[in-house]
Amino acid sequence: MSERRIDYLPEDIREKLIHDPRVAEQDLRVDVTEHRVMLGGNVATPQLRETITDVARELLPGYEIVNETSVVPASEPDGEEPVA
Amino acid sequence: MIRIAAVGDLHYGAGSHDILRPSLQHLPDRADLLLLAGDLTRCGGTEEVRVLADDLRGLPIPMVAVLGNHDYHGDREDEVRRVLEGVGVTVLEGEAVALDIDGARIGIAGTKGFGGGFRGAHASDFGEPEMKAFVSHTKMLSDRLEQVLTDLEADLRIALLHYSPIETTLEGERLEIYPFLGSYLLAQAVDNAGADLILHGHAHHGTEKGRTPAGIPVRNVAQPVIRHAYNVYTLDARRDLMPAAAGGIS
Repeated sequence: MSERRIDYLPEDIREKLIHDPRVAEQDLRVDVTEHRVMLGGNVATPQLRETITDVARELLPGYEIVNETSVVPASEPDGEEPVA
Repeated sequence: MIRIAAVGDLHYGAGSHDILRPSLQHLPDRADLLLLAGDLTRCGGTEEVRVLADDLRGLPIPMVAVLGNHDYHGDREDEVRRVLEGVGVTVLEGEAVALDIDGARIGIAGTKGFGGGFRGAHASDFGEPEMKAFVSHTKMLSDRLEQVLTDLEADLRIALLHYSPIETTLEGERLEIYPFLGSYLLAQAVDNAGADLILHGHAHHGTEKGRTPAGIPVRNVAQPVIRHAYNVYTLDARRDLMPAAAGGIS
């Protein structure tokens, strides 16, 4: 099997993350340079953020994983908005 | 005034215990009902929705939900629905519910909705069977939404969706994926039937506020957009209902 072209690697990794039941997150951005994977987007929990790093490391061993995803805040809102 | 708390795209997984619960403690003092705009789970797993159900259990205000695409992923949407109903959440799909709150009748019509795109660039049910199935699904859900909203007798009427009915609340998303984020047919359905507010989720990088062509307020309550456990919207139940658009204008 030929070596994977780096051009298609980001989408390949993104698809694998979406379909991995440990992740199952579509809101992910994946960029790959020669030895580095950069991950962005929003995730629901700190635990999921860590899991994404672990799964990305499994998918691309030897690559540096830079996880810049952010955990979505779940605090109470400050006020309310009259809409009608 | 009726106070509506709303959020979508909670994406609960097996490790999501108590994410929402601390913020829900004061919710009964801040809102009269809670609306959930789909993608409540990560993969539509029964074990995932049970975690959310534990957080919602015992909330003393009415809770109404639609499911989202993630909630269908495990092909167990009926089980997801049953678990939510088990803790008192009314789950709508092409259905409506009317609640009596502080002497006002609040009607909520809900559907997941689906994609297709927006005016001038909407997909057509033409060509391959897969394409016909895609667009027909949106048309069927939109037609059903219009019907249940039209039949809904209430002082205030709310359309609860997962997919977006308008482009404005998608601003921030990549244009290439707009057809997978919503359809103008949903807005047309609500504009034809008339309503006071439309809530949706699904577009994590979108914008919170918009309006349909007939002027009905639309709020994208995806949690990554509102960046809170929920937002609260107030509506005056004594005001006149936003009229249906004349002649099916969308």
